[in-house]
Amino acid sequence: MHCHRFQSAPLTRREMLIRGAQGIGAVALSALLGDRAFGAAPPLPHFRPRARSVIFLYMDGGPSQVDTFDYKPQLAKYDGQDAAKLMGKLEPTQFDNIGKLMKSPWKFKQHGECGHWISELFPHVAQHADKLAVVKSCVSKFSEHTAANYFLHTGSGLQGRPSMGAWTGYGLGSVSQELPGFVVLNGGLIPPGGLDNFGSSFLPANYQGSLFNPQGEAVANISPTEARAGMQRAKLDALRGLDLLGSAAHGSDPAVESAIANYETAFHMQSAVPELMAIDGESAPTRKSYGLESDWENTRIFGRQCLIARRLVERGVRFIELTCPPTGPERWDQHSDLRQGHADNCRSVDQPIAALLGDLEQRGLLEDTLVVWTGEFGRTPFAQGNDGRDHNPFGYSMWLAGGGIKGGVSHGETDEWGYKAISDKVEIHDLHATMLHLLGIDHTRSTFRFGGRDMRLTDVHGHVIKELLA
Amino acid sequence: MNLKSARIRWAAVRTLLPVALLIPQLAHSADDSGIEFFEREIRPILADSCYKCHSVDAKKLKGGLYLDSRPGVLEGGDLGPAVVPGDIEKSLLIESVRYENVDLQMPPKSRLSDKQIAALEKWVSLGAPWPAGEENSEGRREVFDLEARKADHWCWQPPREHPVPEVADKNWPLDPIDNHILARLEKADLHPAPDADRRTWIRRVSFDLTGLPPSQDTVDQFVSDGSEDAHETAVAKLLESPDFGVKWARHWLDLMRYAETYGHEFDYPIPDSWRYRDHVIRNFNADVPYDQMLIEHLAGDLLEAPRIDPASGMNESLLATASWWLGEANHAPTDVRNDEMMRIDNQIDVVSKAFLGLTVSCARCHDHKFDAISTADFYSLAGYLVSSRRQLAMHDPGGEIASRATRLRELQSEACAALEAKHFPAEEIRTHADGLIASFEDGLPAGWTTTGEAFPNQVSPAGHSQIALIDEAAVRAPGGIVHSGLYGRKLQGALRSPTFTLEQPEIHLRLAATGPVEARVVVDGYFMQEFNPLLFTGTRLDAPMLDTAGEFVWKSIAGDLRKYVGHSVYLEFLDRGDGYLAIDEISYQKGSDAPAPAEQISAAALGIEAIFQQAKEIESHIPAPIYALAMTDGTPRDENVHIRGSHQSPGELVPRQFLTALGGGATTGTATGSGRLALAHEIASPDNPLTARVYVNRLWHHLMGKGLVASVDDFGVMGEKPSHPELLDQLALDLVEGGWSTKAMVKRIVLSRTYRMSSDSNLQDPQADDVDAANILLHKFRVRRLTSESIHDATLAVSGELDRTQGGPSVPPFLSSFMEGRGRPASGPLDGNRRRSIYTQILRNFLPPFQTTFDMPVPFTTIGRRSNSNVPAQSLVLMNDPFVIGQAQKWAQQLLQENDSDKRIRQAYLTALSREPSDDERLAISSFLEGQRALLDCAPDDPALWTEFCHLLLNQKEFIFLR
Repeated sequence: MHCHRFQSAPLTRREMLIRGAQGIGAVALSALLGDRAFGAAPPLPHFRPRARSVIFLYMDGGPSQVDTFDYKPQLAKYDGQDAAKLMGKLEPTQFDNIGKLMKSPWKFKQHGECGHWISELFPHVAQHADKLAVVKSCVSKFSEHTAANYFLHTGSGLQGRPSMGAWTGYGLGSVSQELPGFVVLNGGLIPPGGLDNFGSSFLPANYQGSLFNPQGEAVANISPTEARAGMQRAKLDALRGLDLLGSAAHGSDPAVESAIANYETAFHMQSAVPELMAIDGESAPTRKSYGLESDWENTRIFGRQCLIARRLVERGVRFIELTCPPTGPERWDQHSDLRQGHADNCRSVDQPIAALLGDLEQRGLLEDTLVVWTGEFGRTPFAQGNDGRDHNPFGYSMWLAGGGIKGGVSHGETDEWGYKAISDKVEIHDLHATMLHLLGIDHTRSTFRFGGRDMRLTDVHGHVIKELLA
Repeated sequence: MNLKSARIRWAAVRTLLPVALLIPQLAHSADDSGIEFFEREIRPILADSCYKCHSVDAKKLKGGLYLDSRPGVLEGGDLGPAVVPGDIEKSLLIESVRYENVDLQMPPKSRLSDKQIAALEKWVSLGAPWPAGEENSEGRREVFDLEARKADHWCWQPPREHPVPEVADKNWPLDPIDNHILARLEKADLHPAPDADRRTWIRRVSFDLTGLPPSQDTVDQFVSDGSEDAHETAVAKLLESPDFGVKWARHWLDLMRYAETYGHEFDYPIPDSWRYRDHVIRNFNADVPYDQMLIEHLAGDLLEAPRIDPASGMNESLLATASWWLGEANHAPTDVRNDEMMRIDNQIDVVSKAFLGLTVSCARCHDHKFDAISTADFYSLAGYLVSSRRQLAMHDPGGEIASRATRLRELQSEACAALEAKHFPAEEIRTHADGLIASFEDGLPAGWTTTGEAFPNQVSPAGHSQIALIDEAAVRAPGGIVHSGLYGRKLQGALRSPTFTLEQPEIHLRLAATGPVEARVVVDGYFMQEFNPLLFTGTRLDAPMLDTAGEFVWKSIAGDLRKYVGHSVYLEFLDRGDGYLAIDEISYQKGSDAPAPAEQISAAALGIEAIFQQAKEIESHIPAPIYALAMTDGTPRDENVHIRGSHQSPGELVPRQFLTALGGGATTGTATGSGRLALAHEIASPDNPLTARVYVNRLWHHLMGKGLVASVDDFGVMGEKPSHPELLDQLALDLVEGGWSTKAMVKRIVLSRTYRMSSDSNLQDPQADDVDAANILLHKFRVRRLTSESIHDATLAVSGELDRTQGGPSVPPFLSSFMEGRGRPASGPLDGNRRRSIYTQILRNFLPPFQTTFDMPVPFTTIGRRSNSNVPAQSLVLMNDPFVIGQAQKWAQQLLQENDSDKRIRQAYLTALSREPSDDERLAISSFLEGQRALLDCAPDDPALWTEFCHLLLNQKEFIFLR
């Protein structure tokens, strides 16, 4: 655990409210701040935001950088040779089954005016190469999924810290009155570590990620259960009357008033959510572009997720995370059979992601929407066994696009093997700092007092990656 | 802080010597060409790539390292000297710029060019020349002054007696508590609110003491009780209710991050942690003194006379230590030592927050930023934990096992006497393999411990055969072995070695075994390999792997063990049932096989058949022990400071002792074993300025809606100041004086006038709501939302469904389709089997959604003050959740037993809200029922219609807010 000095920067109105409000209890706080259901605070960025929403494409399991965005011709040259002999000291791996150096089974080509090297696994995304800022020097601290997932999502490898989406909501509040500020579109695979990846922990519960299923009932308890139309409305009206009688008798209490108001919001959510999920009204070309007619089921699932993500952006939802559909028993975690596994995973997400980028751009939303594509770590350039790759937190790739991002940039590099980052290393704290920065939040000033410390998403770390900014 | 500066710092703090005097004088020599090389090649690299973080101009100095002067470079930072002149390989500066160590790469973002690295290497090999006159780095470092911090903050000062404050309104106070509250109100020119009406008060106190609404009888009795001690009578009844323990145990479980699984990827089960939950409930119902609860939680395994629960026969003192082991746990850590330190960090975090209101874990990487807690303090506490071990302890209710084991031992020793008389030739002394770790020829070696009844505490010496009550046909067992079958096959037990440093990659055991036995190596306290062997394959031998069909052969613990050479390990042998384990020797190298067995003899030949018969008869009545998580002492050892929290950078060794600011060190050296028991006594001492204050503040928090110190888990500088410091002191002293009784203190608080106040705005004192807007002074009572558990349990209570059965294994949680993830179990029943919420299983990765929506905390550390959110998801649950709807239906069926609809409405109000409906409410409800009936097109007594009514009541704010 790291601590940091008390921030002596001038208090914002919000901070003053929070500090002052500790005297009157958190209930009163949400009432004081809140006619907004899903974000207590009025949006109050530290500076001009470059993005209004984030779409976080979470590639659960760890895609291989040397097979996607980090082209290393040297691997082909030394394919099948002893890794330790050529590369020097190898770090301990999760499964401790180090095989030979393994070239990528896929061909790389340069794309766009910027000339990004992208493998043939991503033919659709490659068409948007000039929109992408590719970071090739990401590092994580954990070789194991769960800790790495928590680290990616919360900035801490331990369970139970607030997720980045929760911090976003805490910093900015939500634009939408009817939808939560942090939505997780469940592709079918909850990452190792479970729902705590999306939790609010010590932040108020209204900031936690809400799990939306792209099919069937989208959100828990969102459908009225009354037998006839109008019954629920009548009940809520009667309820309001009774509650107000209580307030009149006892005097007003901010927490009670706020709870009364919540019923109206909840009522509207019941129609807002189905309306959000009703993608039948989208045009046929749009539906087709997202892959909703694909003969590969996972493309259809992820296509729905991407399309709904766009609709969430349109409705002002701040932070939207997409998890992967199940591809075989595993996600991107190809400890064996890399060739089949990565091909299947790419097939699931490539077309929908490309469609999302194109659609956002066409609708003028891309400039306000930050799109991030990353796993929790990368994979080793040497084989695990014969045909897999083990976890590699020492150097891997991610990309960002959209709001405030300079497209076409390639940032940082790994060594000649694609194993360890050697220049412009980017830590997860840096990613968090940059995301918050683009949303208009200074990551060092967005803090919450817990356990004797002013906690923040980036702990005591994090630097905005200026090279990526437009 | 490097090793040297750590010592200096400590010396400075402890003796108050000026720092400067202790910095060694640094000498250097350099000729001109060296200086020129430095200026031309080195200084530019340092200035360009290092000074942003490692110079006086750094916005924030990193790692305590200055690279802008030669003394700075030589003295180094937290990790030690940056440069050892002339020695490239020992210079951290060179190691870090080479980028070969992934944990130490500088500059952090990008590697320097090969040419620059070569230049730095050359500079170091030249002896790190630097021009004279740039040497002054003295006085730059901040000195951590523990004593000054202690003197500056209130919480370290002992509580003082205070006279009962004088008040103008002498009639108002019922207890000195009220004088304290009233005196402050009067000072602010405010008046306390009038008393709440009786129905409100009895509802309030019922929820606060039992977590349930009052029964109608309770309300009626109290309302009609005109006697002076009516309140006291009501409270006495509630304190006697077993539901008191259920309510207050849940608060305690929040402090102990109670859960029943380990979380992380697969959410493996914590073995039977519900037994600990029941223990806590029993503690509160039995009003076990708080200091005793503390001692038991910290060191109940070490008590000479443990406390036994008369009903279940469980060893309560031992059971309490399960609390150490309720944290999350990760399988397959690539750095197992770091995994151990994260676990210890969490243990210290929980104990220090829960019992001391201190954030000691903030001092894991550096001295506490605000409080009088040093890094050395943290590692002093860590020493107790590396000296202690996790065990699955065996409970023996009623001593049913122990009494029979005693009898078996007597029989075995009788049988041995018969054998003795036979005068067999002496056994051949076995030779040892190389690399001996342990043999038993002279008895159980020092530091080896046993628990349970199976393993003997004394081992018959080598050459001296003994009787094993296993096989009547062949009764002789060799001497010099540790054997869990001497007293038959049935007894269970554990045998543990001292902790030692693993020197070689394999451990070999010459043993004989059969039945449900197990042998394993515990590396740095890691215990998860039983769930998932990844990275620890071969470190645990289970029964099939160990079975030797009774012959002595070599078995090997190998495989992944090779990864852990140099780590701290111990061996653990378990006999968990009908079988035995006999260990001859333990060694790094496999020796020759055991010599031919000595001449055997039958029971008949020795004339001891009757003994075997008796033993068999006794064995048939031995019950299995009950296993429960616990702590046990390991090998006592101190821990090093881990510089910047990294075990890879060990600093000075610090003795096991309590926090310096709380008098730590007084008992150092006198304690036995781990010293945990002495630590427990220090924490639970009446002289500890924090313990009683922290506890009494928690009671106040739960009863009054807010602690006298609002930040209940943090009494440090970053916490909040007490609103009524004198009252806090007085209550703390009174708690101790009253024998640390929870019930007595709870009783006193709820019988105070303060607790009796109405929460309504005080119409006689309309300015109060403005002057004391946050109600810090308590000018009226605080409105509180019920806890998640109370909302759930009250719903079951009003529907008539609540099953108040106490104790036992948990009910699996109901999991909606939105509760997904790895290791998802089958969903439990929607209504939690109608039990109280505390009996719903707490799965870290699948927390019960109803509970979390209403702020049940995530169990990761101590949470004394739950967050109190107010969000639409809560409305959605109450509007649409099938549990709520289902209970409304059940309740409606109950109501329909009454024929008159007005009476039904009245009955429902009394049940749910403990009061009659007003005329306005009756009117509103009649018209609601009429409207819904029209929509439903149903008869006036249709259950669906009355379900609507019940559902409406469950959604009233008054149902979930306590006035």
